[in-house]
Amino acid sequence: MQAAVELHQVSKSFRVRRARGAGFTARVFDLLGPETQTVLAVDRLSFSIAPGERVAFIGPNGAGKSTTLKMLAGILRPDAGDVRVLGFVPSRQRHQLAFQIGTVFGQRSQLWYQLPPRDTFALLGRVYEIDGREHKRRIDALTSVFELGTLVDTPVRHLSLGERMRCEIVASLLHSPRMLFLDEPTIGLDVSAKAAIRELLRSESERQGVTLLLTSHDTGDMERVCKRAIVIHRGQLLWDGPIAALRRSYLKAKRVTVWTEAEHLELTLPGVRVLSSGSYRTELEIALEITPLGQVVDAALRQAAIRDMAIEDAPLDEVIRALYANADTGSASS
Amino acid sequence: MMAFIVKYAAFSRISVAQARRERGELYGRIVFFAVILGVFSSLWRAVAEAGMPVAADPKTLVWYLAATEWIVLSAPPIHLDIQEAIRRGDVVYRLGRPASYVIGEFAASLGLLAARAPLLGLTAFLCAFAFTRWIPPLGALAIVVPFGLAAAALMTGLHLWIGLLAFWLEDVSPVYWVWQKLMFVLGGLMMPLELYPQFIQKAAAFTPFPVMLADPASFVVWNRLVTPGALARSLVIWCCATAIAVWWTFRRATSALTINGG
Amino acid sequence: MAAKSLAFARALIATNLKAALALRGAFVIQVVFMLLNNGTFFVFWWALMHQVSALRGWRLGDIQLLFGVVAAGFGLAVTVAGGVRHLGRFIEEGDLDTLLTQPRSVLVYALGVRSQPSGFGDLLSGMLFIAWSGQVSWRMVPIVLAVILASALVFVASGIVFFSLAFWLGRVETLARQLWELLITFSLYPEPLFGGMLRLALFTILPAGFVGYLPARVVHAPSLLHVSLLAVGAGTYLALAVLVFDRGLRRYASGSRFSTFG
Repeated sequence: MQAAVELHQVSKSFRVRRARGAGFTARVFDLLGPETQTVLAVDRLSFSIAPGERVAFIGPNGAGKSTTLKMLAGILRPDAGDVRVLGFVPSRQRHQLAFQIGTVFGQRSQLWYQLPPRDTFALLGRVYEIDGREHKRRIDALTSVFELGTLVDTPVRHLSLGERMRCEIVASLLHSPRMLFLDEPTIGLDVSAKAAIRELLRSESERQGVTLLLTSHDTGDMERVCKRAIVIHRGQLLWDGPIAALRRSYLKAKRVTVWTEAEHLELTLPGVRVLSSGSYRTELEIALEITPLGQVVDAALRQAAIRDMAIEDAPLDEVIRALYANADTGSASS
Repeated sequence: MMAFIVKYAAFSRISVAQARRERGELYGRIVFFAVILGVFSSLWRAVAEAGMPVAADPKTLVWYLAATEWIVLSAPPIHLDIQEAIRRGDVVYRLGRPASYVIGEFAASLGLLAARAPLLGLTAFLCAFAFTRWIPPLGALAIVVPFGLAAAALMTGLHLWIGLLAFWLEDVSPVYWVWQKLMFVLGGLMMPLELYPQFIQKAAAFTPFPVMLADPASFVVWNRLVTPGALARSLVIWCCATAIAVWWTFRRATSALTINGG
Repeated sequence: MAAKSLAFARALIATNLKAALALRGAFVIQVVFMLLNNGTFFVFWWALMHQVSALRGWRLGDIQLLFGVVAAGFGLAVTVAGGVRHLGRFIEEGDLDTLLTQPRSVLVYALGVRSQPSGFGDLLSGMLFIAWSGQVSWRMVPIVLAVILASALVFVASGIVFFSLAFWLGRVETLARQLWELLITFSLYPEPLFGGMLRLALFTILPAGFVGYLPARVVHAPSLLHVSLLAVGAGTYLALAVLVFDRGLRRYASGSRFSTFG
């Protein structure tokens, strides 16, 4: 089966004109003879995504995430390498590709602010040349799945952020795209709204076989919606695999919380970091390769009886941050 | 007294720096000024050709326009800044501060005025000279400067008042447009009031517009019925009236805010 | 294919106008006050032309016709294709990205995504000025409408060129707005006021001649020559605008912009 997305050795650099500084003369010089600097945003990136997959695209700011996303959507032209999305070359076949993809930008709205979402849906029907009856059927189906109800007829300016995002996603799915690009879809939302959107995205993708590529800083988005993560750093591929493996394989550390009969615990074992201690509760981070869990428990018991204990994997952000840090030190030494 | 001046001067200093950043807008105004003087020098020459009943020398009319436009362009459009501040809710924070919000804003805009007026004045002088090859008696020009600045300050105060209407109106711009055009006509921006029909001249007398534009500019053109003393008195009266209007409007607005639990 | 694009354009205009009308109260205020604004401004010409019967061959009716055509053309431009005024900001802030992911002409989409409600006031006042200029009869309505359309097209085309400079120069908001306002300013004054060199400029780089003078001429004395000139002129500017935007968009897709990288 044809891959949904195929990137092969894709590179993109920007010739950025740096402003010399403030002041009139500086700006005149900027106009006449600009100072340029070449920044390599994406460096020989390769990966592929199968149809129906849900992939989280992770990376710190400036890593090249949005640049890559823009190249996939046909907004930017790559300098080198091959890009294929749903069989099309985005920069050359933007028009045909556009019919097959949908986009949701968390920071930018597709909906007309003064009008109810229904009016935007109607316009999008014309944008994507959707047949009248099919269009109505699609709106009804999506409205019920996403539980929009009367929201469709409420002006967007009266909707809460969570309600607006649900309408945005419906708008992006109206033309039944085969692939959906989402950029920070849950940014600024409260916990319940986030949960609702994640669930809707996941189930809709499963039901319709829509391929998802999602960028987010929120690890909840990644874990609840996607099965696979692609981590990008300084324009290069850092890690590509299942999210579960990312957590498991990368950081062999555990977060342990102990409730004891002593108010504080003093533990100075190698590989053990006390994150917080007080009020009969101590949080520890244990590097299991250095100190096995049993040893830590013994040391704690020697100080006070343990009332309760909780053991968790390190949070995903920690894992990812460790990935970046490792890459930085790794590249520094190489 | 000194402390009072220092406190409000601080506001002005902030906005002079702000004015430097808004250089782009100022250069735009300069270009527009030059263009409009050029167009009108051509216009008045054409009018002189056509034989105007009230035979006015085209040269003096161009200098007249240079003076009125100088005043209008120097007054910063702070009604927009005030509207923005009210929309953003900044005003609520300033209410608690000892320095009265209104006086602070006015002082800030005077700073802007101080930055714009000299450059625009220079433009006025150079362009008017370039298009007419003539300079009015320097004594006449000298009188225009202080009265012009005072007029621009009064205009700024009125702009501030219009900005305060944002407490009740969603958008004050439409009000400002009509206000400005009334000022152009009743203040005799493009041509002296004497050249307008009687009923317009009579209506203008009830407004602050002639005091802001036509009267100060008329010193450049010819010795009018208005003497410097009389104009100074009128300016003071209108300044007081404006100050009262601004104060009263602000009071109404803030009392409404506190009632609503703003 | 063309039918689908036309259906899209129609739907876009309908949505745009619906959004402009969404806030009914604000809409009415903008329209009414713009009418007052234009009417008040014209009092100057009315007063002037009562003193001078003709200005280099132009009578009050001619000036009224010119005014009307420019106002109506401008009004039509900013109501239907109001996005033109925001093009620079769209380009600078990356708002074109959303449009690029949809299968339609980015230029048409960007133009049709905003509407200025006051433009309806301009359009209405323009038509009133034309009607009361004493130069048109009922037979001429189709010509008047065509001429207004031509003027609007040149306005939009010029705006596209000015604001598209953002593709190459980054922050051009002030410069582009300056050019846009200069275009309007020059178009409101009778062409005989301008000397040879300037007149040439007004029919080439700053097409005030095609926005006001020539359309008014066509209404005043329709001739095949004038109509063809207007049609060719409007067409040329439109083609130029499309070309400039297309080139700019290609540059946008290469990603090189004046910015600090992030």
